[in-house]
Amino acid sequence: MSTALQLTSAEQALGISLPNRRMEDWRWTDLRARLAKSLRIGAPSPSASKIDAFLKCSPIASMKCKRVVFVNGKLDKSRSDTKSLVFSEVAPNEMIDDPVIELNMKISQTRFSLVFEGNVSEVVEIIHVGIGNETAFGSRIHYEVARNSSAFVVETFVGEGSYLNSSVISATVHDNARLDRLKLELESPDSQHLAHAIYWLGKGSQLNDVSVTIGSSLTRQNGTCNFLGQNAEAKISGAYLLKGKQHADTCLVINHAVPNCTSRELFKCVMDDNARGIFQGKVVVAKHAQKTDGKQSSHALLLSESAEFDAKPELEIYADDVVCGHGATAGDLNHDHLFYLKSRGIPEAEAKSLLIAAFVGEAFDMVANDEVREALAGIAAQWVTGK
Amino acid sequence: MLEIKNLHVKLADENREILKGLSLTVKPGEVHAIMGPNGSGKSTLSYVLAGREGYEVTEGSVTYNGADVLAMDPNTRAAKGLFLAFQYPIEIPGVQTMQFLKVALNAQRKARGEKELSIPEFLRFVKERAAKLNISQDMLKRPVNVGFSGGEKKRAEILQMAVLEPSLCILDETDSGLDIDALKVVAEGVNALRSPERAMIVITHYQRLLDHIVPDVVHVLSVGRIVKTGGKELALELEKNGYADYAEKAA
Repeated sequence: MSTALQLTSAEQALGISLPNRRMEDWRWTDLRARLAKSLRIGAPSPSASKIDAFLKCSPIASMKCKRVVFVNGKLDKSRSDTKSLVFSEVAPNEMIDDPVIELNMKISQTRFSLVFEGNVSEVVEIIHVGIGNETAFGSRIHYEVARNSSAFVVETFVGEGSYLNSSVISATVHDNARLDRLKLELESPDSQHLAHAIYWLGKGSQLNDVSVTIGSSLTRQNGTCNFLGQNAEAKISGAYLLKGKQHADTCLVINHAVPNCTSRELFKCVMDDNARGIFQGKVVVAKHAQKTDGKQSSHALLLSESAEFDAKPELEIYADDVVCGHGATAGDLNHDHLFYLKSRGIPEAEAKSLLIAAFVGEAFDMVANDEVREALAGIAAQWVTGK
Repeated sequence: MLEIKNLHVKLADENREILKGLSLTVKPGEVHAIMGPNGSGKSTLSYVLAGREGYEVTEGSVTYNGADVLAMDPNTRAAKGLFLAFQYPIEIPGVQTMQFLKVALNAQRKARGEKELSIPEFLRFVKERAAKLNISQDMLKRPVNVGFSGGEKKRAEILQMAVLEPSLCILDETDSGLDIDALKVVAEGVNALRSPERAMIVITHYQRLLDHIVPDVVHVLSVGRIVKTGGKELALELEKNGYADYAEKAA
């Protein structure tokens, strides 16, 4: 038995060793085996017309909002509303031991920070356009939401080709501030998407994070949420709409390091064909983090016999006065629901699409913006009818 | 209109026959009551007519305006004018009642080759009917039947009926779980839909509902078969003497 594994071509190109299924957090997503054999770091910039065409693919393209555009991991200033935003081209280094972050540091093309002060009601959309084959790129973005301030960020990922995109974001939500973040992963069907979101939450702050995973052949998104001050609240929700051989794996860690904080995780995952969805959620409650209120749930809707969902909830509780719970369900469409809809004249296909949209709708409902929520309902309907 | 001949039905996964040669003819404009003790096959009849899975027709036929009902999908039956008001209306989280009504009505209109209603036309159409049944706008915004009280669920069923305007309404124990006030509202809603073109089958355990929805014909269903047919006075007789006579006869 060999002890030292030989480096794969991808590992040689990226200059790091990749996680494999023998590592607990990666047991379902063997990155080492899955990453393309040949990868170049960075990709040439595509034509202007192509970029503009992809910008129109954003489901909220028609919505009035400030935009920041990244093309193949690089900030595209000419297409961004940088004048009206407070930004800098730096981002902090995260001292978290995580292969996704390590990889991002190797391949990200840009470091970028946005600062929000006051109550920013207008949505800021960050659009990532990825175009290219057998290339790897990424971006590293940081949000700073000042005390008593609020911000709403939508990150939209679109593109074409067999690229690997790595997105690492971090956010510091200061005391009594609020951050709403929606991540819309609509990457190219041949792409691979590796992400990590790291949150630092101050006293009395609120985080409302929603991720929607529809694109790319492989998605791995990690999340780390750290409570720094008391009475903060984090809601982390997600929806998967997967078909074919798509694979999506979310791995979250919530660190309740201080008392009196609340966390809610809700994932609604739809898998068709041979798709596979995974949800790994870990809640750590430190010894002195009394009165922690943590709930986690993941629900899977399996539309075919060969679709698969794996859930791994983990609770690590060292405090003795907490309310923590988790729940996971998996099943196919409810036959009574289907019959009821059909008995009112709704044909089977339409009845199914109503029920699928209703299932993921519970996660979409977390989005605190009517216009964005409607756009999401549109995407779900499109996904169902486009099957 | 509806012609059921010698219908035999068993549960698909059990070798137990529930309906054992049921025959029934319903003409336009008629209201038929089907009464019977628990386990006589009342609900099975309504589900088989609506096309629920889990039942197997082993013998007999059901035709509606000459077409073979048993060969149709539930949605096709609905588009042809069949409507079942459920004894236990199903809760559907995440699907707003108003949206559900719109999708259902437009699907039926489309199946019949009619034009879909515009949104303002549709809203007016629903609001008029909802008001008559004391159904608030708030209820219409809530998910289908989710969190509705027993009475609200039954009223919502009648609203669906009023919106979809079926030609044959099957009411499966619509009176169950209703207090007398709610019963009156529901009965008024049903009576408002009575017309020379529309037939109804009212399935009930008790005579009480029939004080409000007065039937033309009353049938007694026992052990999977209609054992007696009469006028509305038959319901009163059953109320007085119970089903004991019929249960013995069937056995």
